[in-house]
Amino acid sequence: MDYKTMKQNSIDRRTFLKLSGAAGIGIAASTFGVPSFLHAAPETIKIGSIQPVTGPLAIIGQGTRLGNQLAVEYINANGGIKSMGGAKIELLLGDSESKPEVGRQEADRLIKEGASILLGPFQSDVAMAIATLAEQRQVPFVMDVAALDDITKKGYEHVFRIFITSGGLVAGALKYYKTLIEISGVTPATAVVANVGDAFGKGMSDGFLKMLESSGLPIKIVERIQYPLGIQDLSAEVAKIKAAKPDILFPVSRPGDSVILLRELYKQKVSLMGIFGPGSPGWYEPDFVKDMDKLAYHTLVNVPWINPSSPSYQRGNAAFQKAVGKNLDTNSAYAYTGPLVIADALERAGSTKREAILKALRETNFKDHPVVGGPVKFDEKGDNTGAMTALIQVQPDPDLQKRVKIVLPKEFAQSDKIVFPAPQLWER
Amino acid sequence: MNRTYILLGLILAVLLVLPLMLSKYMLGIFIMMYYYAYLGQSWNVLTGYTGHISLGHALYVGIGAYTSVFLAQRYGLSPWIGMFAGGVLASLIGLFLGFLGFRFGLRGVYFVILTIAFAEITRLIVSHIDALGSFTGIFLDFNPSFKNFQFKGNIPYYYISLGFMVMSLIVVRILETSKAGRFMVAIREDEEAAKALGVNTFKYNMFAIAVSAFMTSLGGCFYANYIFYLHPNTMFGMSLNIELILRPIVGGLGTLFGPVVGSFILTPLSEVSRAYFAKGGMEGLHLVIYGIITILVVLFMPKGIIVYLKKWLKPILSKE
Repeated sequence: MDYKTMKQNSIDRRTFLKLSGAAGIGIAASTFGVPSFLHAAPETIKIGSIQPVTGPLAIIGQGTRLGNQLAVEYINANGGIKSMGGAKIELLLGDSESKPEVGRQEADRLIKEGASILLGPFQSDVAMAIATLAEQRQVPFVMDVAALDDITKKGYEHVFRIFITSGGLVAGALKYYKTLIEISGVTPATAVVANVGDAFGKGMSDGFLKMLESSGLPIKIVERIQYPLGIQDLSAEVAKIKAAKPDILFPVSRPGDSVILLRELYKQKVSLMGIFGPGSPGWYEPDFVKDMDKLAYHTLVNVPWINPSSPSYQRGNAAFQKAVGKNLDTNSAYAYTGPLVIADALERAGSTKREAILKALRETNFKDHPVVGGPVKFDEKGDNTGAMTALIQVQPDPDLQKRVKIVLPKEFAQSDKIVFPAPQLWER
Repeated sequence: MNRTYILLGLILAVLLVLPLMLSKYMLGIFIMMYYYAYLGQSWNVLTGYTGHISLGHALYVGIGAYTSVFLAQRYGLSPWIGMFAGGVLASLIGLFLGFLGFRFGLRGVYFVILTIAFAEITRLIVSHIDALGSFTGIFLDFNPSFKNFQFKGNIPYYYISLGFMVMSLIVVRILETSKAGRFMVAIREDEEAAKALGVNTFKYNMFAIAVSAFMTSLGGCFYANYIFYLHPNTMFGMSLNIELILRPIVGGLGTLFGPVVGSFILTPLSEVSRAYFAKGGMEGLHLVIYGIITILVVLFMPKGIIVYLKKWLKPILSKE
């Protein structure tokens, strides 16, 4: 490089001073842009949001992060935390990469950056790592989504959960099954449980079976079928179901295999009173409802669910639609609830002091949320006593978007009739 | 040589006083650096020195973690003791795997498959044992005390992990200069020739895998009491298998300081870039950068960064 080009590329002292001076003024102007004597500049309150934004759960994680962000935007647009002079909430973003140790490290970083509360993280294993960290660092941690019972069993002082527990999910399934029998006046005598053999499928169906047995309901499990995740053909399994002649089928499946299962049930003309998912994804997603059309009708599934008629859901959904053109789903709706619950607690705490926040969180009684469930209240373990599932059923409707309907509990129901027993698959 | 020791002593002195000036978060990065350097070093004993590629070292991490946690939860045994029980168990399983592999002369890819198979089989078995938390995993109680290997702040973890790493360096240094270590290198360079020269290759292969498994499993105990959660998929899974070998490969396989150098480069790189890009709303980009750097190192520095580092340091270190 010769001297000339070097000269051109380098910055001399004067230029440097000019530039840095200008930059300094720029920064100062942007920070103190509004003359500070006009109003008492409210402090910002930092909340650390940790979601699995990259890695195997990236798509869901991006949705839950967006849920967190949109709720914070809403709170800030409505005057922030009024009891603290309209203090705005700043959401610090962390990415767990779906790994517990990364989640922990990110949580530690956000605490260092000033987070007074942690929020997240969609997965139970990451939640546990962060929960212990929260206890170590004495920072309140509000879980928007994470179901495993054990997380709150440790009696941690700083840990709160909005989502339903895995035990609550199974209990909900049994409760709705009983109600279904009462309402319809039909009692299935035999059943088949068919589940995918991964951790979720096995855990969920084991829990449900155990509860069903101890419930004293006159139902006999005539066959239990387990198949591996990612299976491409279920004809042999469905032949077994057909041979067992059950009245009702309890599937715990994943999106891919529910399509195969349902098509095979149709092909082999397995006669059933109905299909009841104790907590099974794959039977109500928009693509499934669209592709399966009439075959998807009348399936009942017990799930944590959105409450579309709530004003909070409508606000959140509008914002979500605007941001990504999709409806606010259950996970993102719970994520949307997180900052709302925190803001409500901060409003009552009037301070970012740990004790004040913890006290306010424990006294939470928050109704204006977008999911099916009672008011958010935390018990001594930190679990939400208002959390509940809904029973949903896919029902005929010319509008695809409106086919999935809440049928139970009554106060949230979008349709007052439950179709059970359902017409056979090939008679629709 | 003296200068090398002085430099290392200086580095160690700096590392020892670091907690005085760093935040808990920064200490967390260092803890992960030491942890992965330690695991990489343990893996290096087998793969770096004897040349038998193990892609299933997560197996030993998992055994160490699960054994110490199980003994602590069931029998109240302090993890300080439990981790050695885990080490012995890991060694035994390593010896069994080694017996199958070395006795029947499995080489290259076939040995790799054997190690993966052991890790995967163990993962599936643990996933179905209720006493080990099956597929929901084990959540550890948080009872901070020295006996329980659990602490409130990051500083104790910092010193323990630093101690682990330094110990592993000392062990490998002793090994490297010992007869056994030289035999292991001979096996790596040419197993048949070593055998022809009278090296009992089976014996030294078994020795290497036992030491490697033992050391790796101690790391598992540390992880368990740092993260407080064990899941079969994270403890025995493929991603840990790969995570574990990246650092020694990037740093320099079969060298004393390779795993340490690799970890000191890769771990902060992934941490800092994640934090940096997350703020700009470009999450995921850090993984791309991490991947590109790893590829570049493997392509252009196949012997690891340590070779270049030594070249740079030569003028300083060689002046007697």
